[in-house]
Amino acid sequence: MRMIFRPFAVGMRRSLPMAIAIAMGALILLDFFFDEPRINALGRFFVESTVIVAGFALLLGIVNVLVVHIRRIIQREDGWLYSIALVATAVIVLVAGIPGPDSAVVGWIFDHVQFPLQAATFSLLAFFVATAAYRGLRLRSLESVAFVLAAVLVLLGQVPASRYLTDLIPAAKDWILNVPSTAGVRGIIIGVALGTVATGIRVLLGFDRPYSGGGEADQ
Amino acid sequence: MRFLAEILGNLGIGAQQALALALLLPFFPLLLLIRRRIRETGRPPLRAISGYAALQEYLGQSAESGQAAHVSMGTGGIGTTVTAESLAGLTVLQHVAEYSEATGLKTIATVSDPSLFPAALDVMRQAYEARGYALAFDPTSVRFISPNRAAYAAGVMDILAHAGVGCSLMVGNFGDEFLLMAEVGGRNEVRQVGGTTSALILPFVYASVDETLLGEEIFAAGAYLRQRASHLASLAAQDWLRTGIILAIVVGAVLRSLV
Repeated sequence: MRMIFRPFAVGMRRSLPMAIAIAMGALILLDFFFDEPRINALGRFFVESTVIVAGFALLLGIVNVLVVHIRRIIQREDGWLYSIALVATAVIVLVAGIPGPDSAVVGWIFDHVQFPLQAATFSLLAFFVATAAYRGLRLRSLESVAFVLAAVLVLLGQVPASRYLTDLIPAAKDWILNVPSTAGVRGIIIGVALGTVATGIRVLLGFDRPYSGGGEADQ
Repeated sequence: MRFLAEILGNLGIGAQQALALALLLPFFPLLLLIRRRIRETGRPPLRAISGYAALQEYLGQSAESGQAAHVSMGTGGIGTTVTAESLAGLTVLQHVAEYSEATGLKTIATVSDPSLFPAALDVMRQAYEARGYALAFDPTSVRFISPNRAAYAAGVMDILAHAGVGCSLMVGNFGDEFLLMAEVGGRNEVRQVGGTTSALILPFVYASVDETLLGEEIFAAGAYLRQRASHLASLAAQDWLRTGIILAIVVGAVLRSLV
């Protein structure tokens, strides 16, 4: 009996997710292209249902966070004290959120802990930009020479005092921003759009199967 | 043209949908035809992308030195507007997962969006199960950090600073938080490859990592790392369509100037 059902089960495990993915993808595509009420309603239903799937995925993620950090605490790995703080904070916010996400306690935690910490983390960007520029503006290739040259001209052009040196610098800045920079960005956007379409079509045709950890066999 | 517009209008297809259709319709047959040709005649030559060559080199160096490899698939997820970028990161993870299984390289994959977590976990597990080493798979090698970008960056910064990471591969959708992660990696002498599609973030990526994958180069991961026929075919199809778009722009500009 097992010999009969096992290949069937293995085949179903591979083809069922693919069939569902292709069917759903085709439905959403039809929803986009055609203004038919029944197709639109079905498409809207499945798009809204992804919120439920995302909710379960979030639950899985939270379990993963707790497992990683509890294991770190038990095994006394590096930084296990921070893991205690993380797990304790997670439990506190979880308990505080039981009355609902709009409760006063959760609001206070977000206003006085979450947002200030977020602002503090992103405030590091100002300093990191400077150190990244210091490391990035090294002349290691032809591309980096162009990068440095463009950066210097644009920086100088942005400064009002540069106009007193020569009118060429602001003009060079405007030319760099309006011509090669804009052209490059548009080229990247076109390329990214094509790449996105290609990725979607590969999933629709079943060549890429990210939902089952696989895809077409390698060459 | 008016007749075509009438037919499309009767079908409920507006101008935006018609443009999308004009892009989508040629892609299907091109992809299938070129894929078939590749399977018959073999792999076509690809231009060298230093990011992918460096990625392979950094993985090897980390494996040899006993350090871990960090893979980030960005702060996007599946089912969002940046799904394609997240899938590109997943392709990179698949390659790293199989390399890890074969060499014993420790991999730490971090995700921000919860929708990407099960997919990443499955990719890592499949790499071990395919070779019959399911018990060797460590489920905590894939770590969900946080959907909040600042918290995600903080989590990755900690991993890059304290987890004995030798190389960091960050391919996907990123915002400003990329600079935070890449800088910490740089200070800890972690070899880094970064790739994203956002034109606003690419300068940060270029300045802060060792090798960059610019824009659409991240979508070529399957072709360069996995040698998959469908990925090679879609690269070729993209090239054909790009040529068509360029010709259309030039012809349109000329016609507009003449009229």
